[in-house]
Amino acid sequence: MRFAHLSDIHLGFQKHEALQKVEQQVFEKIFDECISRKVDFILIPGDLFHVNIPEMRVQKFAFAKFRQIYDAGIPVYVVYGSHDFSPVSNSVIDLLAEVGYITKVTRATSLENNKIKLGFLLDKKTGVKIAGLSGLKVGKDREYYEKLDSESLEAESGFKIFLFHGGISEMKTDSGMDGENMPLSLLPRNFDYYAGGHMHKFNAQKFENYENIVYSGTPFAGYHTDLEENAKGQKRGFVLVEFEEKIKNIEFVEIGNTNYKIIEINAENRIAESVNKELQDKIRAIDPAQQVVIIKVRGEMTKGKTADVDVSTIRDEVNQKGALVVNINKNQLSSKEYSITEAKGANREEIITNVFAENIGQLRFEQQNLIGEQGIQLAKKLLAGLVLQKLENEKSADYISRIKENAFGILGVDTNNS
Amino acid sequence: MDELLVAGQVVGGKFGDILIRQKSGSNLEIGDLMISEENGSNLILQVFALEYGSQIQDKMQQMMSGVNLEQGVADAQFFEPEFVNYVLARIKPLARVYNEKGEVKIPKSLPSFFNKLRLITKEDLKFLRKEKDSIFVGYIRTGSKVIKEAEVWLPSEDVFSHHVLIPATTGRGKSNLVKTILWHVLDSNKVGALVLDAHDEYFGRQGVGLKDHPRARENLVYYTPSNPPAGANRLTINLQSIKPEHFEGIVDFSDAQFQAIRSYHWKQRDTWITTLMLTSPEAAEDRIAAATMGVIQRKMRLILGLTKDEEGHLVSKHEVFDSATKGFTTVDDIVKEIEQGKVIILDTSRLGDEAELIVGNIIASKLFEKYKAYKATGELDRKPVVTVVIEEAPRVIGIDVLTTKSDNIYSTIAREGRKFKVGLMAITQLSSVIPRSILANMNTKIILGNEMKQEREAIINSASQDLSEDDKNIASLDKGEAIITSIFVPFAMPIKIPLFEDIVKEKGILAQSGKTRVF
Repeated sequence: MRFAHLSDIHLGFQKHEALQKVEQQVFEKIFDECISRKVDFILIPGDLFHVNIPEMRVQKFAFAKFRQIYDAGIPVYVVYGSHDFSPVSNSVIDLLAEVGYITKVTRATSLENNKIKLGFLLDKKTGVKIAGLSGLKVGKDREYYEKLDSESLEAESGFKIFLFHGGISEMKTDSGMDGENMPLSLLPRNFDYYAGGHMHKFNAQKFENYENIVYSGTPFAGYHTDLEENAKGQKRGFVLVEFEEKIKNIEFVEIGNTNYKIIEINAENRIAESVNKELQDKIRAIDPAQQVVIIKVRGEMTKGKTADVDVSTIRDEVNQKGALVVNINKNQLSSKEYSITEAKGANREEIITNVFAENIGQLRFEQQNLIGEQGIQLAKKLLAGLVLQKLENEKSADYISRIKENAFGILGVDTNNS
Repeated sequence: MDELLVAGQVVGGKFGDILIRQKSGSNLEIGDLMISEENGSNLILQVFALEYGSQIQDKMQQMMSGVNLEQGVADAQFFEPEFVNYVLARIKPLARVYNEKGEVKIPKSLPSFFNKLRLITKEDLKFLRKEKDSIFVGYIRTGSKVIKEAEVWLPSEDVFSHHVLIPATTGRGKSNLVKTILWHVLDSNKVGALVLDAHDEYFGRQGVGLKDHPRARENLVYYTPSNPPAGANRLTINLQSIKPEHFEGIVDFSDAQFQAIRSYHWKQRDTWITTLMLTSPEAAEDRIAAATMGVIQRKMRLILGLTKDEEGHLVSKHEVFDSATKGFTTVDDIVKEIEQGKVIILDTSRLGDEAELIVGNIIASKLFEKYKAYKATGELDRKPVVTVVIEEAPRVIGIDVLTTKSDNIYSTIAREGRKFKVGLMAITQLSSVIPRSILANMNTKIILGNEMKQEREAIINSASQDLSEDDKNIASLDKGEAIITSIFVPFAMPIKIPLFEDIVKEKGILAQSGKTRVF
């Protein structure tokens, strides 16, 4: 007997058409693979979709594929993830469950003593018992696990699988993985297999009382950094598990997605010109046609502003050569010549004033209104204009243009002329 | 003063050693706090010695006793006994409290001659206010009586960054004290604490403990090597987190051995321990002698529990160290949690001495480096003060360790941690083996009972207040009784530390009932 475990597919995450295609292809390929490998059931512990109600295009291909799986007689067991769950509205998951293409695993009841009791679901064909808890937003998960009546879950006999969606501290592989993680000890013990979602890299480990804690990882990408990891060679796919009374084998099945080129530039202690030159040289050395190109510039330059590292020309150049997508990341680039010095103050207003006052001396502009005391006042006004909140019922596009107009107004820039 | 309250009267002596006659029936005790009401201020004094006084000559008294004992005269009594025989108490001034502002100053004058004194009351201790962000340690104690209304709170940031020493022998209530202090640290996020719990007694795996604090869920993190209770973390540290400097000052490696270790680290970086352990001594790199290599491997094997498996892979039999895929982020996680002002308890009860110190060293070093960097970037002000709680402190700051081995992180923190808001909370039975330079830097000492004279002397000599007359007082401190001497309290304060169990009963988590909404 065998089952497939996949998670964090994040359907609907990609905004770029080329990547949307890859997203769909990978999703379909995995399900085809499940059918051809004759799995008995499929587990999806969360984040099947990127949002609770994705756009129609996504729903359409997802429903088509789930229909196919349903026709093949393969049950799909799902818990919500942190992305496709909403405490206030329905999710497309509910729709899929309603028509019977998937089964929601969580059978939670709230007891009088403030505990949460979880029931098992039986996979009729294999006799496997499945329980699980969804991943919820805003750190509610931990509270749920703390209240979980683990004893009744642990006492259940037979081959048991637990589905969960959330980060486990003990499973982290690098310190950069921030966010809410919880200790493994919160999960009920002695299940045969723990199908995890939320962590985006494949990871299978064994611990005392927790024989198989497995994250299948995302099959393509659900965060922006996933593409970068892919470019660096991170393998993506799903997990195929063979079992009888016990787990016999856990296999990671790699599913290819697309081709990547990554260019990383270390700008530490360099000047903007030389960084630009290296960028140019490296771009010229690659053939970006039909590739996802990721450019990452990081480090602290000694001279020049970060804006002097000219990414827009580079972007145009790579696009012209037929790249699928160009992703440029300058988040970790800074400059000694222009770096923000911190300042203190008794309140927010004072801190803002002091930070501007502390730093404005670094600017070398001819326009008097951008420097000195005038500059500080202008900067404060601009900041106040940029932090305006979106109005209720205001469309994003309207909000953006309102903010833009406001900002241009403060700066005294004629938008028709720009 | 109300005549009924009078407990004694000044009859002689000198500054620091004032003689009073006890009023009959007032039963003064060693350690009693007394008040001399004076014009505009109250002088607080403390009894440090008691003796008999009599108007009748010694020989006469001895003869009277003979009459009683040998002649069988049953009811031979003194005429007006309370007038003729009495108790003399020797007292010393502790503080002068100015009535108007409640200001407390070190006294520089004697109480008025023949002034009548009374015992202290809660009204006299109103100057003990709870400041913001302070830590509760106990109630003021006068002799063996406790004034529950007079709570002693210490300013947490100052106290913890200036190091705390808790000298005590076994059974005098030090773990109760540490738990009480940490309980109040849990109230806020202003203090981060790293606790190396060698006896696994603070969390309360069985019975009550810090886990019962209402904010334990947010502010307490417990790491234990195996079978963690629900919600607790597994203490697993990957060998790759260990650097050669973590052994410094803790494990006895010769210069040649350290050189070899550094050379392996330099070349192999993260995998240095694995490579070093899997290389046969004869095949060592860099002309390292086979004997040297052999000794290093043997020591590492013992400390870190390393062995080679059938396939030639290095495995750690230790529950804490992992040679493979686990524990890569534990150290960073812990440091991050401390920076958030949480209390981290590491259950090191299953570790050997050296392994425990190495674990503490890895974390404390990383934390200290980060705090140093925060100082440089001006971020330190926003970070919580950190205290590293270490038991049997002489293992790392003892005179023999510091003279024979190189500095370790604990001694570095003791010397320069104050500048970076990192302090030690050192618990010890043997204060005398800690160098004076370090003892003097520990600016708060919470002294529990100690029957060893040498230890009392070491503490008295390095106290922030003059305790020269308190030797007997310290020796006679009962379980839970303590004296706080600190640059942050106006005088050496006698306190009674409440029972931790009582605190939990009063303020601990109540069992919740009701339903939770589930999805």
